[in-house]
Amino acid sequence: MLELINITKKFGSFTAVDNLNLKVNAGDFFGFLGQNGAGKTTTIKMISGLYTATSGQIIIDGNDIVKEPIKAKTLIGYIPDQPFIYEKLTGREFLFFSGGLYSIEKNKLRTKIDETIETLQIGDWIDKRTEEYSQGMKQRITIASALLHDPKLLIVDEPMVGLDPQSALIVKNVLREKANNGSAVFMSTQV
Amino acid sequence: MTELIHIIFYKVLIFFKSNSRLTFGSFVKNAGSGLVYLVFAYGCLMLSQNTIEYLLLKVKIGSFLLHRFVLVVLSIFFIAINVGNMVVSYSTLYKSKEVLFLITKPISFTKIFLIKFLDNFFYSSTTLLLIIVAVLFGYGNYFNFSLWLYPFILFFLILPFMFTAGSIGVIVLLTILKLASKWGIKKVLSLVALLYFVGVITSYYVSNPMKLIKQVFDYYPHIDQYFGFLENDLVKLLPNYWIAEALYWISEGRLERALPFIYVNIITSIVVFSIALLLAKKWFYQTWLTSLNINAELKSRKKEKVLFFGFERKSRLNVFNETIIKREFWLFFREPNQWAHLLVMIFLISIFISSISGIDIIVLDVYNQYLKTIIYLVVTLFNVFLVASLSLRFVFPLISLEGEALWKIRSAPINFNQLLSKRLLIYFTIIFFIAQLITFFSNYQFPAQLAIIAQLNAAITTITLVSLNFGMGGIFQTSKKKMLLD
Repeated sequence: MLELINITKKFGSFTAVDNLNLKVNAGDFFGFLGQNGAGKTTTIKMISGLYTATSGQIIIDGNDIVKEPIKAKTLIGYIPDQPFIYEKLTGREFLFFSGGLYSIEKNKLRTKIDETIETLQIGDWIDKRTEEYSQGMKQRITIASALLHDPKLLIVDEPMVGLDPQSALIVKNVLREKANNGSAVFMSTQV
Repeated sequence: MTELIHIIFYKVLIFFKSNSRLTFGSFVKNAGSGLVYLVFAYGCLMLSQNTIEYLLLKVKIGSFLLHRFVLVVLSIFFIAINVGNMVVSYSTLYKSKEVLFLITKPISFTKIFLIKFLDNFFYSSTTLLLIIVAVLFGYGNYFNFSLWLYPFILFFLILPFMFTAGSIGVIVLLTILKLASKWGIKKVLSLVALLYFVGVITSYYVSNPMKLIKQVFDYYPHIDQYFGFLENDLVKLLPNYWIAEALYWISEGRLERALPFIYVNIITSIVVFSIALLLAKKWFYQTWLTSLNINAELKSRKKEKVLFFGFERKSRLNVFNETIIKREFWLFFREPNQWAHLLVMIFLISIFISSISGIDIIVLDVYNQYLKTIIYLVVTLFNVFLVASLSLRFVFPLISLEGEALWKIRSAPINFNQLLSKRLLIYFTIIFFIAQLITFFSNYQFPAQLAIIAQLNAAITTITLVSLNFGMGGIFQTSKKKMLLD
């Protein structure tokens, strides 16, 4: 599902990632561990198409993220460490917006949104503006938005940072279930 | 296309939602802003109408020279929009979290660029557009325009003109970052600043408004005719010339002679915008990565340098004052937005002072004594505008700029009001000094009495506007926003 071949990333004279090779198969729950500044987030940003590698190749289900970015990104669900949400939109509006970016048909999207609201226990918060959300609720909405298009590869950057125990448990369960259902989960966390 | 409409739909929704929640605070804020704009717009309308009346009926400069004056004002607008868009686009295209979010979605880079460009253009040019609309009403009122002419001028002359300026700004920004990956950002920025400076100075000398005024006044009192034959051919290539010329013919009631300028104006904006899109398709993502490298390079370089005025160095000031001053200094110069805006302002001020110094007021007196009054008033207005801009840009966000570090200040054993007063004093002193200096250089040719009044006026204006912006910044503080333009 995901293959990193000889990946190196340099910012000017600073080498953030040095010749990294790894392979993640469908159904794997891959833990990407490292200390602060080890290059985890840089690697994740390269996989999700934010950065390009200085050298090497990233293949997602047969698609090179640099050569076929649109195709590759359709297969990815990306949950960043510092999620971006439009604060003036409600959770539901944000999910409709996110689903639209993946061209999901309206009725299918509606059903999918209802399912994820239930799975992630978002409840009544879904129709409130996201500016009123706690850190945990923002994270749940971000995860919901990443699950709408049933991604084959879920990339998660330090998902437990700042989460309350209940949110953390929900997130863990959802990610485990995704892996059980055949998606590959690539999750970074600190040691 | 569907994707684009989808995103734009939600952007519009966000825009309306930002202003739709009715609370007492938001009502007071919106009603206050509306009132201030209405009064300001009325002021602009009356000012433009009376200035035109004064210039045409009292000074008797004739419609042709009036529209050359419009041409000069438009050139300032063009540079302001152009440079403004360039600076703001750097924040919105290369530093915004929304771009980070959109890049991870299956959307092409050109679409992301387009969305952010439009976003940026409409947000950053709205204020200027509101001023232009008010001035246009004053202008049209004087010339008894039919109602349909207002939207016509706005949509077919002003908006494409602004769009051209904005698009060129973004083209320059893309080019700067593209070249920066090869030559380094400092070299490229210095080169671009030099090119802009040379370009502005050259266009001033090519158009030479003072020479034109003298040539036109040679025909005095028969100056209410068309003097286009006196114009330098190079000026005819500039967008502000097309607008000024079109307005001249519209005000003369000869729309058919304005049409060629309107066509060329619209076509230019389409062509320039298409070039911006093409370049974005090729370079946007590449330059986005370059901006990351530039930031990383700057960060790694900073580590090696021994800091002048560093925190660790001893100072004669007391510890609290020293800490405040050093923090202000480093926060200001390490934030590219801050010093970039300051550089732009210094650039515009230099052009203004060099233009004003070039005017020989005694020679002008020979032609028409009223021109001296106009110049004095324009100089005064510019100084007020400058102090207003500096205060709005640097003093208004002072309290909000405490931002996410507010917890540190609030939990420290210091008096918060004392801290804010000290910060205010630093900015007030700098703005006061700049205002006094500019007033001196732009008024020294006038009689001593007028020059002293100008200095006093600048002092009172600075005290009033700085205090007003500081107070308003406190009322409308937002600790989430890093800066006014973010």
